Amino acid sequence: MSERLERLVNLTATLLDTRRPLSLDELADRLEPSYPAEKAARRRAFERDKETMRELGIPVSVETIDGLGGEAGYRIHPNAYYLPELGLSGDELAALHVAVTAVQLEGSDARAGLRKLGGAEGAAAPQLAHLEVAPALPDCFDAVARRRRLEFEYRGDVRRLEPYGVVHKFGHWYVVGRDLDRDAPRAFRVDRIDGEPSLGEPGSFEPPPGTDPARYVRDDPLSYGEEPPVTATVLVAAARAALVVDQLGDDAVVERRDDGSIVVGLEVVNREAFRTWLLELLEHGEVLTPPELRGEVVDWLSVQAGGRS
Amino acid sequence: MSPRVASGGARLQRVLALVPWILEHPGVTLAELAERFEVDEAELELDLELLPMCGLPPYTADRLIDVYLGDDGAVSIRLAEYFERPLRLTPAEGVALVAAGRALLGVPGSDQDGPLATALAKLEDAVGARGGLAVHVDTADHLDRLREAAERGDQLEIDYYSSARDEMTTRVVDPVRVFHALGAWYLAAWCHRAQGDRLFRVDRVRALRPTGQRVETHGRDPEQGSSDDGELVYRPAPDDLRVRLRLAPEAAWVAESIPVEERIERARGRVDVVLAVSGRAFLERLLLSLGPAAEVLGPAEAKEIRATAARRVLARYEDAAGRRQGGDDDVGG
Repeated sequence: MSERLERLVNLTATLLDTRRPLSLDELADRLEPSYPAEKAARRRAFERDKETMRELGIPVSVETIDGLGGEAGYRIHPNAYYLPELGLSGDELAALHVAVTAVQLEGSDARAGLRKLGGAEGAAAPQLAHLEVAPALPDCFDAVARRRRLEFEYRGDVRRLEPYGVVHKFGHWYVVGRDLDRDAPRAFRVDRIDGEPSLGEPGSFEPPPGTDPARYVRDDPLSYGEEPPVTATVLVAAARAALVVDQLGDDAVVERRDDGSIVVGLEVVNREAFRTWLLELLEHGEVLTPPELRGEVVDWLSVQAGGRS
Repeated sequence: MSPRVASGGARLQRVLALVPWILEHPGVTLAELAERFEVDEAELELDLELLPMCGLPPYTADRLIDVYLGDDGAVSIRLAEYFERPLRLTPAEGVALVAAGRALLGVPGSDQDGPLATALAKLEDAVGARGGLAVHVDTADHLDRLREAAERGDQLEIDYYSSARDEMTTRVVDPVRVFHALGAWYLAAWCHRAQGDRLFRVDRVRALRPTGQRVETHGRDPEQGSSDDGELVYRPAPDDLRVRLRLAPEAAWVAESIPVEERIERARGRVDVVLAVSGRAFLERLLLSLGPAAEVLGPAEAKEIRATAARRVLARYEDAAGRRQGGDDDVGG
């Protein structure tokens, strides 16, 4: 165990220090503790080390060695390895320590990141917030940071995006940007991306000046959809009126009745999302207009009521 | 350390962060390092014992890392220039740090020009993601007063809308703490009505009144997993109704979004799940909104709950007079 760690430290040092790519044979000749003499075992052990290093984000570069019949050589370019000087003050480091302890990110690498910046400065904070981390989030963030195009599978479609930002809202992460196939701004739920996204070359695009990614995620989850918009009015019973006003805002109220019930108006571009929202209200909500939408809700419920149609 | 890194990598990761710090801060004590890097001193000493065996070929004395550990616990390192800077942040580390910072900065009342804000700006500039990550933290009507009550230990009487049961309730609670999760603010409190720890969505607290009593339990760690609504960390009780559903592919997300006790993949992308249900209204909403995408396999009681709820909602549409004259139902139960 510690012999492997010793070799990993030495391998990292050697690859950082070298000015030219080194072949596996050269590495095996030089390194202590060295690799097994037998070729296949040597290759396996080296690949395992390389994998461990890559998991940590150590940028092991594979290059062709001139004059050795195209044999692969390995090195670490210092510029790709070294963290740029951030110039964080003690107060700033302490503030980041408070942030990573107050905001818990399930399964995240925040603490490992903090150690690179100088570790835990000052006191920890009681937990104040909890965020989920979707598996595709680091790739999306990397694509935003390095202006790489993203391609991913999303609910059965392949989507191509110039990502301008990642936004956490309504308890979910969204990646937002310009959808290349639709040539329009779009937001996608990061946790609904299937598999690993593929990332294009760095520096492939520039977001328009003044882009505010948060504005791409609309305030109202009901407004996600691409159906022709229909304006619906919904009667909400007094018992739930205040909750609905909180959710939709005062502007949505088109009528206040004497019994305390209200009528709200909303634009529907996604009937499924609308139905889910409406049925959250159970018997406290009723679609008034348009008649087709009202009819659809009645049909939807009738099937489930059983024995009626 | 990092959850994604295997144990062999975890120590390498620590060593690569530790060495640059010691190089930059010669004479730092073992105790300070242990605290800063969140590792116990014995483990740290093992790392420091390993380093003098490391270096560059041909591993002669002038090529090996030189570690000096003084009697006073002060540590210095020489001959490790190639480790003078830490390794770059990975995207996973970068996004986690920036997200944590942005989330905290988004909490109402945070100092928008303080050290956290300036630290984030430096960090985002270094990774190239300035303005590329936003965390929206909602505010809620009674958030400030609830946070204050939890901090001071004021007992409260609250009017609360329970979504799982679809009812308005009034109850006396001993606030423990207030926190943000899954896009909403929660109050963790001892509920006198339920005689247990409960979580309340702050945006469903409709009104609050201090009772004038002080509570001693604020700030403690509440029992986890006791949500009033089964929304945050719902833990099924033995007598909760178990419902077996067959989900069509378009409803398979339910198995990911709601804790299920059993999950069996079926042909053509369908999934069978067993859910434990504490609140009847929760099940009503779930079934009514899923519609034909969720078939209730059993028990009969669950099928009946669905049919009754559908009829109850439909009754509104059939009773036009009640609608026009405002003969609205009151709080449902």
